[in-house]
Amino acid sequence: MRKYLYIATMQVINNIAYPGDFLGRSISIGIFLFIFAGLWGTTFRIVGTESINGLTFANMMWYLMMAETIELGRPRTNRIISEQVKNGEVAYILNKPYNFLLYHFSFGLGDSLLRVGMNIAVGVLVAWLLAGPPPSLLGWGMALVTLIGAWILHFCMMALIGLAAFLVEETNSFELIYQKLVFILGGMLLPLDMFPEWLQGIARLLPFPYMMYAPARLFVKPDVELFWQMLSAQWMWVAALVLVLAIAYRRSEKVLTVNGG
Amino acid sequence: MKNIRFLIALWKANLQAAMEFRSAFLTQVIFMMINNGAYFMFWVLFFDKFNEVQGWGLRDMMLLYGIAATAWGVAAYFFGHFTTLAEVIAHGRLDYYLSLPKPVLLHVLASKSLGSGMGDIIYGIGSFIISGYLTPDGILRFALSVFTGVCIFISFLTIIQSLSFWLGNTVALSQIALSAVLTFSLYPSVLFNTTTKFVLLTIVPAALIGSVPAEFVRSFTWQSLLQISTGAAVFLVLAVTIFRAGLRKYESGSAIQVEV
Repeated sequence: MRKYLYIATMQVINNIAYPGDFLGRSISIGIFLFIFAGLWGTTFRIVGTESINGLTFANMMWYLMMAETIELGRPRTNRIISEQVKNGEVAYILNKPYNFLLYHFSFGLGDSLLRVGMNIAVGVLVAWLLAGPPPSLLGWGMALVTLIGAWILHFCMMALIGLAAFLVEETNSFELIYQKLVFILGGMLLPLDMFPEWLQGIARLLPFPYMMYAPARLFVKPDVELFWQMLSAQWMWVAALVLVLAIAYRRSEKVLTVNGG
Repeated sequence: MKNIRFLIALWKANLQAAMEFRSAFLTQVIFMMINNGAYFMFWVLFFDKFNEVQGWGLRDMMLLYGIAATAWGVAAYFFGHFTTLAEVIAHGRLDYYLSLPKPVLLHVLASKSLGSGMGDIIYGIGSFIISGYLTPDGILRFALSVFTGVCIFISFLTIIQSLSFWLGNTVALSQIALSAVLTFSLYPSVLFNTTTKFVLLTIVPAALIGSVPAEFVRSFTWQSLLQISTGAAVFLVLAVTIFRAGLRKYESGSAIQVEV
């Protein structure tokens, strides 16, 4: 277990070496929040109401802050795995005395910790300026608990896309489609509460809302019943995707061919 | 004329290279179209709930996406290095282009083609057609808007990335600039206050790529025509001037043997 902790720690240290680069990347969250403040500020003004489907302007902004934090902080495991498969580096990693998937899990975790931290710092600052003080401590607590499951779900999907490189050369397109599914059905651009009923029903049957909507929604409107409901659905999906990932990895190993070296 | 012949030859070579991996090229094109369509779903859901915002409805957003996606696609497909110029400069890879007797900036920009750009072009034109502004003068205004949009996209990013000549590696800064101009160009500027609108018309010219051209296609005004054409001309001149000034500062570790 300790070796995986070292991998995560090493990745944190690697990233600390480039603080300017990290701060630069976090500026993106400020840009997005600024745009959404314009869009939702205008929409609330035109509709002439304090809340739309139970969400106020401040709720919307903090919701989007949390959603953007998750999106910009998710692990880029797919890109690393597919690059390693394409250039043959995978052969060296498979030789090492650690589990391939757990190695990437630790690596991604180390990478994400700093990203998420930075995004929250910049996001809180911008959202506070645009929409007033943040939600209650209970909201922070529920968001943090569901963030763990959300991160694992993202990791599983990213790793599955990365493993696809064992079968097909280019996996970027899969990432694009996956990202858009999270944007829409995960409720990143628009909370599920704003969807038509029929689409909400479909979205809730899929894993995407538990990667994004659950932490963001519980963050702005903490609700004990919803929390347990979301948490159980989220971990059911975690169990399912971890299983799929384990099977996919076993199959990928079998089709691996490394030339030369 | 000589430059146009040179450009056409480069584009032919790029197309031949892409056709070597035909299925990969087609996959990129199709996936980019699906990607854009999925992203647009946000507006479908948004306008399903709110009929319009400050005079902008679903049709207008289709038009705006049509212009911005086509402009981005043309820039990416025909001048693919416009998003990675900073890397070329910072890594000393300009040596290769300097050794050839052609306009350096044009050569660098057009020497790479992003296959996904073709997906953006097809999606953009499709979105324009569905938007319902498909009239003879609408087509002309759309074509002009795309042309100025391409000029502004490329020029703005060339200016930002040319800072690499003086500041070293500006890849991170270029990524932020790219993200800002692309994201802001997909939203109508009526959403923002006067100061932000001013910024979007000048420093980060996203409004000149998205919402002003969309207004121009919706209904002709001399003001919007003047804004997009002047914007394109000014940014183009600035880009060429700054790149040339930077080129005089260019130093490398002679990477020419690697490139050739």
